[in-house]
Amino acid sequence: MVAITRRSPVVFDVSPSRQEKRDHWNVALEYPGEGEGPWITDLCHKDRWDVQDGDLVSLASDTLPIPEGYGQVALSPEMSVNRMNRTQAAVWHFTDQPGPMPVVSSFTETTEATVFLALYGPRVFAVTEKLTGLDLGGPDKKPPQLVQGPFSHVPCQIVVAAKSGEYPGILFTCSRGYARDMVHAVMDAGQEFGLRPAGEDRFKQWLNRF
Amino acid sequence: MALTLTCPICGERNGYEFKYGGEDKGPRPEESGLSPEAWCDYVHMNNCVAGVQKEWWYHRDGCGVWFTTERDTTSNLEIHNAEVS
Repeated sequence: MVAITRRSPVVFDVSPSRQEKRDHWNVALEYPGEGEGPWITDLCHKDRWDVQDGDLVSLASDTLPIPEGYGQVALSPEMSVNRMNRTQAAVWHFTDQPGPMPVVSSFTETTEATVFLALYGPRVFAVTEKLTGLDLGGPDKKPPQLVQGPFSHVPCQIVVAAKSGEYPGILFTCSRGYARDMVHAVMDAGQEFGLRPAGEDRFKQWLNRF
Repeated sequence: MALTLTCPICGERNGYEFKYGGEDKGPRPEESGLSPEAWCDYVHMNNCVAGVQKEWWYHRDGCGVWFTTERDTTSNLEIHNAEVS
């Protein structure tokens, strides 16, 4: 029998103080000294789908609310559905065991093709403005909103989940091969603001605010 | 000169996010009766206007949409808002 191991491409300098095995992934639940924020959380183990269809609206349902407007996001503690353009949307699941992907050619599993990170907490936009020319916290952004563009010079899909209040934050994905350099760049930019890796427990606390 | 382009989906963005797709030469010519010379002209020849021309652009680092817009080639400034392909 072959033992399957799924590895996140994200590596932090510190090892988790509490973790669990889930669907062949090692999931970090908590890191030592997480501090007061901002935080970065590795979400690579969360299921992600790409949806492409000429008639996306026909694929929408109560369980898969695909927004009609480009750049709009349906964000909930269970999932984020991001409308990218006329024919494409991305689905990011946050639950531990999401349902199976519909067996329709419009859906593609992209979990292991991309890096998925959350950056949240106090002064998070002070970190992001060091990494991108995109004004993620600007007055024209109406969270939750999708922004597609370069982040640390890498094409990314960024969801501005919240930009005001005590816990602003973004979620973003990029191609898996950029993981090591992306994490290095983000941690370096966030060092002066006390950016620390955080486990999934803290991420869930933040996410449940939506 | 820094170029700024208006993506129909993402809005105004830095020109470095885009890939140039060539002049907009209009629809593909009908194949019936099309001479090799006319086809060669359509594929390979450009007007290279010194002034405003309609062009194709691709939002490579963003949403991935192809669109047309008008740019003044002498000032490298976008003239009109973009249209989705």
